[in-house]
Amino acid sequence: MDPQQYQQIEQQNTPPTPYLKNALKAFLVGGIICAIGQAITYLYIIFFDFTDKTAGNATVATMVFIAMVLTGLGLYRKLGAFAGAGSAVPVTGFGNAVVSAAIEGRTEGWVLGVGSNMFKLAGSVILFGVGSAFFIALIKLILVSMGVVKW
Amino acid sequence: MKKLAVLFLGPLFLIGCSNEQTIEISGVSADEEKRVEIEDIIRNSEEVYSGTAIMVDKELLVAIQVKPWLGFKERKVEKRLQKEIEEKYPDLKVLVSSDYKMHWETQKLLDEEDDKKLTKEVKKLKDLAKEET
Repeated sequence: MDPQQYQQIEQQNTPPTPYLKNALKAFLVGGIICAIGQAITYLYIIFFDFTDKTAGNATVATMVFIAMVLTGLGLYRKLGAFAGAGSAVPVTGFGNAVVSAAIEGRTEGWVLGVGSNMFKLAGSVILFGVGSAFFIALIKLILVSMGVVKW
Repeated sequence: MKKLAVLFLGPLFLIGCSNEQTIEISGVSADEEKRVEIEDIIRNSEEVYSGTAIMVDKELLVAIQVKPWLGFKERKVEKRLQKEIEEKYPDLKVLVSSDYKMHWETQKLLDEEDDKKLTKEVKKLKDLAKEET
C-alpha cells in the first residue's frame, strides 16, 4: 500500500467532524459561563461596595476560584470534553490550566513537580498577556504624547 | 416546547420594546424649577433609558443607565451630561455616573427622608465612584 492509498482509506473511515454542533455547544456553554460571571458581578455590586469598574477584578478571582475547585473535583474535565473551547476560552479555562498542570506534577514533588509544572500551560498566557499589554500601553503613550488621543 | 418558549421569551421581547424613559428626581432641598430643568436635560439624551437624580445641599448625584446597544457611548453620554449640568449650575457639585452601583443605590435613596443620612450616603457614593481598585 502506498501512502496515497492509505490516506484515502483513512479519510473514508474517519467520521466527519461535527463542526456546527461543536461550535453550538461551545457557544452555549461559554455563554452560560459568562452569564454566571455577570451574575457574580451584579452580586458584588448589589451586596458589597463594588462599582462596575472595580467589580471586574473580584469577579475574575471568583470565577478562577470556582474553576479551580471544579478541576480539583474532576468536574471541569467533563465540561471541557463536552464544550471544548467554550470552557477553555473564558477565564475559567485559565484556572483549569493552572490547577490541572499542578495536579499532574504532584508525583514529582512540591518544588520540581508542582512548582515547575504549575505554569506550564498558563505561563504563556501570562507572558503574552503582559507583553501585549506593555506594547499597547506604549502605543497609547506615544499617541497621547503626540496629541492624537487623550488618556 | 414552542408554546413554552413563547411563554417565557414573549415578555422579555415585549419588555425590550418599551421605549419609556423613567426619570426620577428626589431631594428635600431641591426646588421645583431645578427639578424640571434637570429632568429635561436627562430626557433630551436619547441614549438614556433610566435616570435618577439625588439632590442634597450643594451635592447633585445623577445616575443614568444607557440603553444596552448603546453601551459603548456610555462614557460620552456621561461626560456630556456632566458638562451640561455643570454649566447650568456652577454652584452645584455634580457627578453624573452611568455605573450600575450608582443606579441601584440611588433607587434606594429615592424614598429617604432624613436629610443628614442622605448627605452622608451621597458623599459615600461619590467617593466610591472615584475608587479605581
